[in-house]
Amino acid sequence: MTDPTDDTDSTTVTESTDNSERDPTQDPTLHRSDGGTVLEDDRDAELDRGPLQQWVADSISHPERVYRAMFYVAAIFFLFTTLFPFYWLLMVALTPEGQLQDIVFTPNGFNPGAFVEVFEVIPFHIYMFNSFVIALASTVVVLVIASLAGYAFGRLEFPGRTPLMLLVLVISFFPPAAFFIPLNDLFNTSFAILEPITGDGTLYNTPFAIVTPLSAIFMPLAIFILTTFYSQIPDGLEDAARVEGTTRLGALFRVIIPLSAPGVATAGVLTFIAVYNEFFFSFLMTDGQPQNWAPILDGILAYQGQYQVLYNLMAAASILGVIPVAILVVIAQEKIVSGLTAGALKE
Amino acid sequence: MARVRLENITKRYGEETAVDDISLEVEDGEFVTFVGPSGCGKSTTMETVAGLTQPTEGRVYIGDDDVTGLAPKDRGVAMVFQNIALFPHMDVYENISFGLRLRKYDDEEVRRRVEQAADIVQLEGMLDRMPAEMSGGQQQRVGIARAIVRNPDVFLMDEPLANLDAKLRVHMRTELQRLHRELDATVVYVTHDQAEAMTMSNRIAVLNNGKLQQIAPPLVCYNEPTNLFVAGFIGSPSMNFVEGTLIEDGLETNNFTVDLDSTRVPGVTVGDDVTMGVRPEDVHLSRFEETVGSSTAPIRAQTDVLEPMGDEVFIYILLSESVDGSMKQDPATSPNQLLMSVTPDTAIEANEEIEIILDRSKIHLFETATGDALVHGITDLSEREPGTTPTEADS
Repeated sequence: MTDPTDDTDSTTVTESTDNSERDPTQDPTLHRSDGGTVLEDDRDAELDRGPLQQWVADSISHPERVYRAMFYVAAIFFLFTTLFPFYWLLMVALTPEGQLQDIVFTPNGFNPGAFVEVFEVIPFHIYMFNSFVIALASTVVVLVIASLAGYAFGRLEFPGRTPLMLLVLVISFFPPAAFFIPLNDLFNTSFAILEPITGDGTLYNTPFAIVTPLSAIFMPLAIFILTTFYSQIPDGLEDAARVEGTTRLGALFRVIIPLSAPGVATAGVLTFIAVYNEFFFSFLMTDGQPQNWAPILDGILAYQGQYQVLYNLMAAASILGVIPVAILVVIAQEKIVSGLTAGALKE
Repeated sequence: MARVRLENITKRYGEETAVDDISLEVEDGEFVTFVGPSGCGKSTTMETVAGLTQPTEGRVYIGDDDVTGLAPKDRGVAMVFQNIALFPHMDVYENISFGLRLRKYDDEEVRRRVEQAADIVQLEGMLDRMPAEMSGGQQQRVGIARAIVRNPDVFLMDEPLANLDAKLRVHMRTELQRLHRELDATVVYVTHDQAEAMTMSNRIAVLNNGKLQQIAPPLVCYNEPTNLFVAGFIGSPSMNFVEGTLIEDGLETNNFTVDLDSTRVPGVTVGDDVTMGVRPEDVHLSRFEETVGSSTAPIRAQTDVLEPMGDEVFIYILLSESVDGSMKQDPATSPNQLLMSVTPDTAIEANEEIEIILDRSKIHLFETATGDALVHGITDLSEREPGTTPTEADS
C-alpha cells in the first residue's frame, strides 16, 4: 500500500512546476475540468507505450475524435437496424415465388412484376385507400379536439387545470387492449339512430370503429404538444385579434394555430403515422374485407391463404404501404423546419 | 365617436382587488390618460373598456349602450398595445386589413381604407413588408393604422410608446397628438410616464392601488392635486413634502415655521399633523426675494449636491446642520432635505450656506393622516382675519 498523502503531494508538486513553466492562458489543454493538467502530446511523456496506451492517450487529448467515432458507430447501428429490414423486404419482393429459400444478400432472380401483381391478386389499392382515410380522419379529429383542449390547457386559467392535464396524460398510458372488449361489444351493438349511416346500426365494419378509439388513444400526446405551443403565443396577439373582431375561437384558428404551425404539423404527423401503423384495433374492428374499410394490415395478411403464403407479394405490399408515410415524413419535415426558421429570416 | 362611461368598476382576482370602484366619464372626442405606478390597475381598467376583462362589479357604457357583457369585437373599440402585437405571420396590408376582412368589407373598400390609414401614419410603400422586417417605430405605426382603419368609436392605447427608444417616443408622442386632432377621436390612453400624460391629454386620471385619485386637466393635477399621491406623482422631479404640526399662527416643522392663520385652513384644527408640499421650482434663494410675490420668512440651509441639467440646476439642500453628510435619502420623504431648481447662471456651489424662501402662492397643505389636500396656495392665509380668534373658530 502506498501512502495516499505522499501520492497527492508529489502530484501537486509536478502540477505546479508544469503550470509555472507554461503560460496557462496560451494553452487551452491545460485547463481540465477536473482541475488537473494534461501533457500536450505524447512527446512530452517520456514513456514507452503500447498501441493501446497510445490510442487511449490520443483519445484523451482529442476527445472530439472519440465523440465522432461514437456518433458514426451509433448512426451506422441505427441505420442498419432500420434500413436492413427494408432491404430484406425489397429482396424478398423481387425474388420470384418459389425461389425464396436461398436468399443471401441479393435477390434470387428478378421479378419486379410482384409490385403489379399485388393489385391483381387482391384489391390492395382499396386497402391502402381505407388506411389513408382512416389515418386522415383520425388526424383531423385529433387536431381539432386537441387544439381546443390545448387552448384551454395552455391559455386559460381555471381551477383543476393541472390535475385535469395529468389525468389526460395518465389515460394515455393505459394499454389499448384494456379498452378492446367493451369497445368491441359497444361497436357490435345496434343503435337505431345509426341505421341510416351504417345500415345495420352497428359501427363494426365502418371506419368509425377504428377512428374513434384511435383518435382517443393518440389524443393525449397531441394535446400535450399543442398545449406547449399554444401557451407560448403572447397574450397580446390574442387580445389584438379579439379586439379586431374575432371570437376566442376565431383568434385560435386565425392567429394562434397559424403561429404554432410547427407544433400542429408535429402533432398531425405523429398522429397520422401512429394511426396508419396501428395494429390492434385495425386488425380487430373490421372483418378484413376491403369493402368493410379494412386497412392495409388486412390487405397484407390477405396474401396468406390456407395452403399457400405469397411471401413475395406480402413483401411488395409492405413496401408499397410504407411509401405514403415516407413521403409524408419527408414533406412534413421540411414544413416543420421552415416553420421553425420562418421568423428568423430577414430579407 | 362616442363617450365612455365607467360606473363603479371593480375587478378582483381572488383576494386581490386590482380595480376598486372606479367611476369616470370620457367625453366624446376627449383624450383621457390613465396614469399611475405599476400595478395601480390602469391597464385592467382599460381592459374592462376593451372587453378583454370582465369587471367583477360595475358597468361599462360606450355611447349610450351598456357594453359590459359584450365581446370585444362588438364594442366598436380599437386598441394599440404596448408590445405592439402585430400578427407576425401576416404582412402589413393583412395586419391593417384584418378587422375589415373579418367584417366582410369588399376588397376595393378594404384597399381604399388601408391605403388611407397607411397614409395617415406615413407607411406608404411598406404594405407588403412583414412586421419582422420593420423597426419598432414603424411596427407601432402599423399598430396605430390597424386601429384607425376601422373608424372605431373609441381608441384604447395601452402604453403604446413604452417599448420605443426615448427619441422615437417623443416623436410618436407628437404624432399621436396630431392624429387625435385630425381624427377628432375619443382616446383612452394608459401610461406610467407622467410626462406623456401631461403633454398629450385633455384630462388625466391618476390611479393608485386600484382607486381613482383625481381626474382633471393636466395643469389642474399639477397645480391643485387632490392628495399627497397625485402631488408626488405628477411633476418631475417630484414635489417636496415637509411634515409638520399646525400651531396657532403657523405650521411648525422640524426646521422652520411657516406663518399662517391656522383657523382658516379648512378641515383641520390646531395640533393636527399637516404636510406641506412645495415644488422644486417654487423654492427660491432669498436674494431673489423680489421675484416672488409673497414669500415665507428666510430659512437657513446648506446646499448638498448639484445636478446641472443644462436648462436648469437641481440642488439638494439640507435644512438642518444636525444632519450628517450621508444624505442619500429621497427628497420627497426626508424631513430635512429639499430639492430646489435654479437657473443655470445662478452662482451657487455645493456645501454653501444659503437662505431660501418658499413661494407662498405655490405651497400646498395636506392632512398627513388622510393625505387629502387642504389648501393650494397660502398667500391669503398669512394674516389673521379681523375679529376672528382661534378660540372662536375652535368652538
